Amino acid sequence: MPSVTINSSDLEKEGPILEVQFLISSDLEKKYIEEKKAIPEPITVKSLIDTGASACVIKKEIPEALGLKPTGVTKINTPSSKDHECYHYFMRMLIPSHGLIYEGPFISAPLEGQEISSLIGRDVLKNGILIYIGYMNQFTFSLF
Amino acid sequence: MTKNIFLKELETYEKNKQRLLKDSRGKFVLIKGEEIINVFDTYSDAVKVGIDKFGNTPFLVKQILEVDQPQNFTSNLIRVDIPCLP
Repeated sequence: MPSVTINSSDLEKEGPILEVQFLISSDLEKKYIEEKKAIPEPITVKSLIDTGASACVIKKEIPEALGLKPTGVTKINTPSSKDHECYHYFMRMLIPSHGLIYEGPFISAPLEGQEISSLIGRDVLKNGILIYIGYMNQFTFSLF
Repeated sequence: MTKNIFLKELETYEKNKQRLLKDSRGKFVLIKGEEIINVFDTYSDAVKVGIDKFGNTPFLVKQILEVDQPQNFTSNLIRVDIPCLP
């Protein structure tokens, strides 16, 4: 079971942040290869593991840069809004150095701040393990 | 308000919702325009067929539920002052 352990300088302030890559899905990649189309380069961004998020979120610039079209629409609730409509995109997220791969839907929405481009939500965590060791400024994330 | 590109697909879903609920509650339906392509056990299976048939074009994958469940976020990291739909 692949896992990654991160030592943060200030885990309390920053939260569990990982550097991840976003790519087109493996099925779309196969189709592009068959059709001899260029495959978009992976996009590397910072992602926050957010146990308060029921689903994954990405900034809309990421699927745009990968040239992706949406595979559905969903409503989201936040502390200050209800039934906000957003598209979702089927994408591949990976941490290549540690062999972690997840493929699934990501909701496209504007995120606060410059640092974070993605939220890893409980739809990913349901397939994994998150160990948060606050006093050591360390966390470990594993995916089946 | 921004136009949802899936208006036609959502209309198709609503027209067929009772039948889909009766036969395939909880499963995932793949819809393109006015056509229901098929019903699948998982979201991933529906997307796989969607990509195979339509490539990188918009198609709707939707879970068949009596009442749609919104996704919930407890933090304010998502900006709601900007519309999600482009």
